[in-house]
Amino acid sequence: MKNRFSGRHYLLGLAGLLGLHACSPKATAVVTAPAPAAAPAAAPAPAAAFQIPVEYYTLPNGLKVVLSPDHTAPTATVAAYYNVGFRNEPRDRTGYAHLFEHLMFQGSQNLGKMEFIQLIQKNGGILNGSTRFDFTNYFEVVPSHKLETMLWAEADRMRGLAITQANVANQQGVVKNEVRVNVLNAPYGGFPWLDMPQKANQNWNNAHNFYGDLKDLDAATLADAQQFFKTYYAPGNAALAVVGDFEPAEAKAWVQKYFANIPSAPQPPKPDISEPRQEKEQRFTKDDKLATKPALAFAYHMPDRNTPEYYALILLDQILLQGKDSRLYQALVQKRGYSDNVNGGINYLGNAFNYSGPMLWMGDLIYDQSVKADSVVSVLDQEINRLAKGGIDQATLDLAVVKLRSSLYDQLSGSDNFGRADMLASFALFDNDPGRINRLEAEFRKVTPALMQRTMQEYLRPTNRTLLIVNPLAKS
Amino acid sequence: MKPLHFGLLCVALATAAPAALAQTKPKPKPAPAAAVAPAAPRETPPAGGTPRDFELPAKEEFTLPNGLKAKLVPYGQVPKTTMLVAIQAGNVHEAATEVGVADLLSKLMSEGTATLTGAQFADKVARMGGWLNVSVGQDQTLIYASCLSEFAPELAALLAEVVQRPALPESELARIKADFKRQMNLARAQPGTQARQKFSQALYGSHPYGRPIPTDAEIDALTMAQVKAFYQTQYGAQRTSVYVAGKFDNGAVREAITRAWATMPQGPAPRIEIAKSQTRPDVTTLDRPGAPQSTIVIGLPVVDPSHPDYMRVRVMNSLLGGSFGSRITRNIREDKGYTYSPYSYLETHYRTGNWSQNADVTTQETGNSLKEIVYEIEQLQKTPPSAEELKGIQNYESGLFVLRNSTPAGIIGQLNTLDLHGLPDSYLTEQVKNINAVTPQQVSETARKYVRPEAMTIVVVGDRKIIDPQIKKFQASRKKPL
Repeated sequence: MKNRFSGRHYLLGLAGLLGLHACSPKATAVVTAPAPAAAPAAAPAPAAAFQIPVEYYTLPNGLKVVLSPDHTAPTATVAAYYNVGFRNEPRDRTGYAHLFEHLMFQGSQNLGKMEFIQLIQKNGGILNGSTRFDFTNYFEVVPSHKLETMLWAEADRMRGLAITQANVANQQGVVKNEVRVNVLNAPYGGFPWLDMPQKANQNWNNAHNFYGDLKDLDAATLADAQQFFKTYYAPGNAALAVVGDFEPAEAKAWVQKYFANIPSAPQPPKPDISEPRQEKEQRFTKDDKLATKPALAFAYHMPDRNTPEYYALILLDQILLQGKDSRLYQALVQKRGYSDNVNGGINYLGNAFNYSGPMLWMGDLIYDQSVKADSVVSVLDQEINRLAKGGIDQATLDLAVVKLRSSLYDQLSGSDNFGRADMLASFALFDNDPGRINRLEAEFRKVTPALMQRTMQEYLRPTNRTLLIVNPLAKS
Repeated sequence: MKPLHFGLLCVALATAAPAALAQTKPKPKPAPAAAVAPAAPRETPPAGGTPRDFELPAKEEFTLPNGLKAKLVPYGQVPKTTMLVAIQAGNVHEAATEVGVADLLSKLMSEGTATLTGAQFADKVARMGGWLNVSVGQDQTLIYASCLSEFAPELAALLAEVVQRPALPESELARIKADFKRQMNLARAQPGTQARQKFSQALYGSHPYGRPIPTDAEIDALTMAQVKAFYQTQYGAQRTSVYVAGKFDNGAVREAITRAWATMPQGPAPRIEIAKSQTRPDVTTLDRPGAPQSTIVIGLPVVDPSHPDYMRVRVMNSLLGGSFGSRITRNIREDKGYTYSPYSYLETHYRTGNWSQNADVTTQETGNSLKEIVYEIEQLQKTPPSAEELKGIQNYESGLFVLRNSTPAGIIGQLNTLDLHGLPDSYLTEQVKNINAVTPQQVSETARKYVRPEAMTIVVVGDRKIIDPQIKKFQASRKKPL
């Protein structure tokens, strides 16, 4: 009945246009077909078949540049990532990283208000920007012969903002309406993606309202914007990924021409965003006057990024939460009928790869009043304990790798090539090593049943989790 | 994974609509004077090179003796395959006494087959590195699935099994109904759903397109006998198409499809009762006490994709409200800041369609938002856009055409649209040419002919005590009473 309710048509449209982010083409890749054996679960072809071209260098001003040609379709994707997200914003300016994202579309040295957007669209392209935990990003997808135009435009706004007080005021209004539509006027608004980090984390950087207090948003000034820009939007704090149908030598020359002369700027020290080890289960309740049914979310602190345990937990996520065969779907949905779905994963504002810092593994479901929150929690415990005690056999692990590999392929393709650009830019920004993209599969194949078990014992302990329960106040 | 972008421009991608250029003051040059005057002289963006050729990927088509159609499109290098089984059996085929029966059937189809329990079925799909999702739309039931390339023939066979031999286990009915009721309940709590349902009801009346989503009582009353009867009378090979795109072994997939689907009964001939849509110029408000925003839908019936004017309507829509750079978005978002995500779009049904502008706006600006939307429509009716503004939209639409046709799922979606609406291949092959043939005068004429504010149905969900006076004032300000 999808067509009968409209809600967020722009999201439906997004799926429609960009092809469900399902499977996809693109990729200069040589594939050795793994044998379609009778028992299809086995994780075959370890000598990674699917390779993505990566050319990486850094300009003298510090800008990290990644080029990845892909001639599947005549399109080019440009993604500019700035190493500032919610976690870095000033303390008395909550929501500022996000507000600033809006300001980046409001005017630069050479393009006035709306002109950036119009420049992309009239050249046949699409664009977007978003703010996440550890970065703010901007991307465009254009017919590939317009690549130079896009590089010029991204460089133009990196070089300098020229916004007005009127534009700041206008975007304050837009952002407040964004908060209203996504949070204040929506049943389950902010649950759990916005709420949970504030409950589960202790460090202010990880635990404040990322959308911002409306009073902080109102207080933002033009001077703040300029200061923020100078500090965080310098080339040395950014990565640029270019993916698609282009010749690297040509793209390199354009990057040189448009970005190399942007002056560098010193960076302030990064704030400490570490989280203490959680020693006690936390439980919170949220009254929601628009919600008609109870809901529950659970979150566990993740192992540090890129550790063996981190890879193991990503595979545990596959086993426990991803797909209809997953343990929690089977137990909560198919077997007990508590809900029709269990959402979940790592980093609700992105994925397991595009963040840097502490992160939560999270799940959530909406259920009927006839079900008790404790019943849901006890199923969660049961399923985790079963795995922790019984151990994870190689076959289960292999299946997790198959599922993971498949979802990675989806991420690395897509008509907009955004998933690939996102990963390349993130790895450049956080690890100074976008080539990791081609080594991920091998990292997952290193995970052993013993490591899985250790990871479960340390990270999926009840004392490492936070529960958030929605108390519905609207009439059903 | 999660729906929420902290983003800016979901709209741009979203509406699958076109783009726009400057509006209130159409800009002649890409780098004209703007609000701020920086010290240095302005640079002009480099124009870029010459377009590279884009051709629709070649497809292989065949029809089985029972009438089932299949289309295979090898595309791309990523070792994955996407499939769609589209069955012309949707909510439009339901009787008034069995609203939701198509949905109930679709949900039960994931609960196992003659040879697999629900859990075994889920496991089998996972082992292919796959997913499978059944959904019901107005006109069709759609089963989307994907897998790692090496399992493509196996997935093709499994899809046939799901459709031809669903277990439809009575034991799961109560649970599936409870899920269905919960989903409908949650949907009804959304202001967007509330507004949209009223809007559809006004346009399509008692035709299935106008029916509200089923109530708990309606869902409770549905029986397994009705589910099975719907399956028997509405499913069949003549109403089924199988699409495959991505990387796969053509021969093996073709063979798997031929073998697995050959036994499907021919079933009923394709048939959709065409809706006589109604123009209903009136305003409805739904109370949402304390709402910090008003959810607006304003629109009316227009032509569907089979109509010769459709491409003009599409281009006009892009320019007016259907893209991030469009006139209405520029006005009520980028100029006034009334809203975050305004968008207009064309909803297409079989042989009927509608245009609507949608926006969640600041409560205090509800009346002003309506006023500005109507203002932009009337401006476009009065004055043709500049050639340059239109060219920008045409380029955007042409660019989107490439994007839509450059993923397996996108390609499949396009092919299904052609088949559902009975459109020739030329709808796609000549699309870019047709987009670019539209003239500024035609855009204006199209707005006059189709997007008539005086004929529009307006639905507003919001805090009535605050919005009703604003809406009264808006109505009074209209020269022609609504």
